[in-house]
Amino acid sequence: MKPALDENLAACHTCDKVSDLSHPHCPRCGAPLHGRKQDSIQRCLALGFAGILAYIPANLMPIMLVTQLGVEEPSTILGGVATFWEMHAYPVAITIFIASVMIPGLKFLALGFLCAAATGKITMDPPFANRIYWLTELVGRWSMVDVFVVAILVGLVHMGDLMTIRPGPAAIAFGAMVILTMLAAHAFDPKLIWDQIRKSQNKPLSK
Amino acid sequence: MSHHTHTWPRLPGVNHRVACHFCDTLHDVLLVDEGLAAHCKQCQAVLYRNRPNSLHRAIAFGITALCLITLVVIFPFITMNAQGNMNSVTVPGAVVMLWKSGGALIACTVAIFVIVLPVTLICSLLYLCIPLSHGKCLPGSAGIMRCFLSIQPWVMVEIFFLGTIVSLLKLIKLADVELGIGFWSVAGLMLCIAGAVGGIDKIELWDRLELAESRRKGKA
Repeated sequence: MKPALDENLAACHTCDKVSDLSHPHCPRCGAPLHGRKQDSIQRCLALGFAGILAYIPANLMPIMLVTQLGVEEPSTILGGVATFWEMHAYPVAITIFIASVMIPGLKFLALGFLCAAATGKITMDPPFANRIYWLTELVGRWSMVDVFVVAILVGLVHMGDLMTIRPGPAAIAFGAMVILTMLAAHAFDPKLIWDQIRKSQNKPLSK
Repeated sequence: MSHHTHTWPRLPGVNHRVACHFCDTLHDVLLVDEGLAAHCKQCQAVLYRNRPNSLHRAIAFGITALCLITLVVIFPFITMNAQGNMNSVTVPGAVVMLWKSGGALIACTVAIFVIVLPVTLICSLLYLCIPLSHGKCLPGSAGIMRCFLSIQPWVMVEIFFLGTIVSLLKLIKLADVELGIGFWSVAGLMLCIAGAVGGIDKIELWDRLELAESRRKGKA
């Protein structure tokens, strides 16, 4: 079972049509045609590191500023998790912790491992690598939930001196982090992992 | 297209091939029966699926989604009553409030991911699918299709829905909260978008478009 690239063919990234690589653009949809995504590893790593940089203020700075009876109190994501935990609202606390702290962290790790596997630094079981990539693309967007929670609370809670909620600096950092990691996952080309496997075995895998 | 009950129509005399998204293994596109999927011989990833009634399903869910988006924009999704203070919030209301309280960037993010992109997604799907159900296509279909595919990961209605639930739980301790029409509309919208987008395979849409496009060129 040969990869398309061995026959100088490539599937269009937009419409999936398999065309000869001598065409600069896909004949069906007009998108640029590449055998592999261009500078995939570099772009994935660059966007990933930018995401890590945004992840730090996103967790350390306040995501909301709650003014209650004239006293302004900053609220961080981890603080919110702790509050829910103390309220014995364990499912909510766990959901927020997973969506906002664990998923981004695991996503950086996953992208790091995938990039290492794609450059041949480590070997990874191919179906496992497929699954990791698929999961990374699937769950990454869910971290955006924190930004939406801030948006809803700000929109709803404005009762003058009694209680008012404003967005904090971490909200922007958080949104930027989610967008950067989504772009990083999108820049990664899982076909590179299979190229490495084929190179190391020097023959097509067969099952 | 009623005579094609099991597979979708496509351009004859063309080599229909597909390369696996994960491992690049080349396969011929052998059309599978409705409800079945084709898997990669090498890595077992799904190559394409044949969804039953794909076009009609996409149109039906798409039109419903447009109606629901209208409701989401108009009606409040949460109403809060705290010591005589009644506050309710709509999606545009939350965006305006964010903008005023110094979160202009977040306001834009919410407006784009929850309203602008879902509307664009559904409109582009309908622009493609309604003519395709008669075997035709409108000008600029390839561009619209590219737009449809590229904005898909950025439509975040389901995540917004989870956000409303989390906010609800945060507010319960502070005040009496009531769910409005907007809340149920967001829930319905989330399901309709999933039904409309998941109901039709990308390869099927492109094959149908290619055929319709060649017919249009043949006539002209």
